[in-house]
Amino acid sequence: MTNDQQILDCLKDPSTKELAFRHLISKYKERLYWHIRKIVLNHNDTDDVLQNTFIKIWNGLDSFRAESSLFTWLYRIATNESITFLNQRKRKMMSSLTDENEYLVNNLESDTYFDGDQWQMLLQKAIAILPDKQRIVFNMKYFDEIKYEEMSEILETSVGALKASYHHAVKKVEEYVKSHETRFEP
Amino acid sequence: MYKEEENSKPEFMKRPGINPFRTPDGYFDSIEDRIMKEIQLTEKKKSTSSIIFRILKPAFGIAASLTLVYFLATYPFTKNTINAKVSSTYSAPIKADSSLSFLLIDESTLVNAIFSDEKSPVADINPDEMLAYLSSGLNEVEIYSEIQN
Repeated sequence: MTNDQQILDCLKDPSTKELAFRHLISKYKERLYWHIRKIVLNHNDTDDVLQNTFIKIWNGLDSFRAESSLFTWLYRIATNESITFLNQRKRKMMSSLTDENEYLVNNLESDTYFDGDQWQMLLQKAIAILPDKQRIVFNMKYFDEIKYEEMSEILETSVGALKASYHHAVKKVEEYVKSHETRFEP
Repeated sequence: MYKEEENSKPEFMKRPGINPFRTPDGYFDSIEDRIMKEIQLTEKKKSTSSIIFRILKPAFGIAASLTLVYFLATYPFTKNTINAKVSSTYSAPIKADSSLSFLLIDESTLVNAIFSDEKSPVADINPDEMLAYLSSGLNEVEIYSEIQN
């Protein structure tokens, strides 16, 4: 049961639904995990969001109309869950933070599962201070190399708007890296 | 604009986009079990709450019907009481004023006054006195012209 259509067929049958869902988790767990991780940055938060995402997927199986691919639908749910999670956290922490993106930078610095060097930390900080939409588009393009057409389906945004978002994101990241890079150059 | 961007790629983009994050050891091995467990728990909670609702549904129905019947039965009385309360609260009390004393005369007194054989006090007055009284406001010319007519 590796094919998406096979999984979907088995999900419709109550006797094979659970087994098929296990296959679905098994197939997409890593891709969804890394997609969420790049949005929320911290491992523990990612774990919570991933779990909520799969529960949402399970509860919404009946509403999946196969108008888009299974992969696109799963990514969309994961993206929405991540943004909802971040907004809730930001709202909670707003009283103690001067900037709402400070939450993500703190999250990044406190994450024990970060293996990157100083330069990679700088790049991640530059990405963290981008607006949510630009950050998601940048990550999907730069790290995951997802095509704009596919991204357009996942984020329900036009290709033109996505290209513009990516362009702005690249400019901002470049400026941030340039202005901070000299600090740790030998 | 985007082609231009590709030609003059920023410096940071020339480095490969490496994922600097990692997960705890064996993290992906147990995800299926954990998520399925959580889903079963959620399903159980859902079914428990739906069983409770199914058990309590007739009780809720009866309670709602009884409330409706009680409300319909008591509403007209409540309405009268409310009207009475409103009228007693907002109507001004009638003072025992002399100008309104005629309102306190009962019906039989009025009938007697109209149809009794008692002579009217006006009947005792002399016609000359009456003429003098009526013409008291007139001057001589006016009185003369009245008499001539």
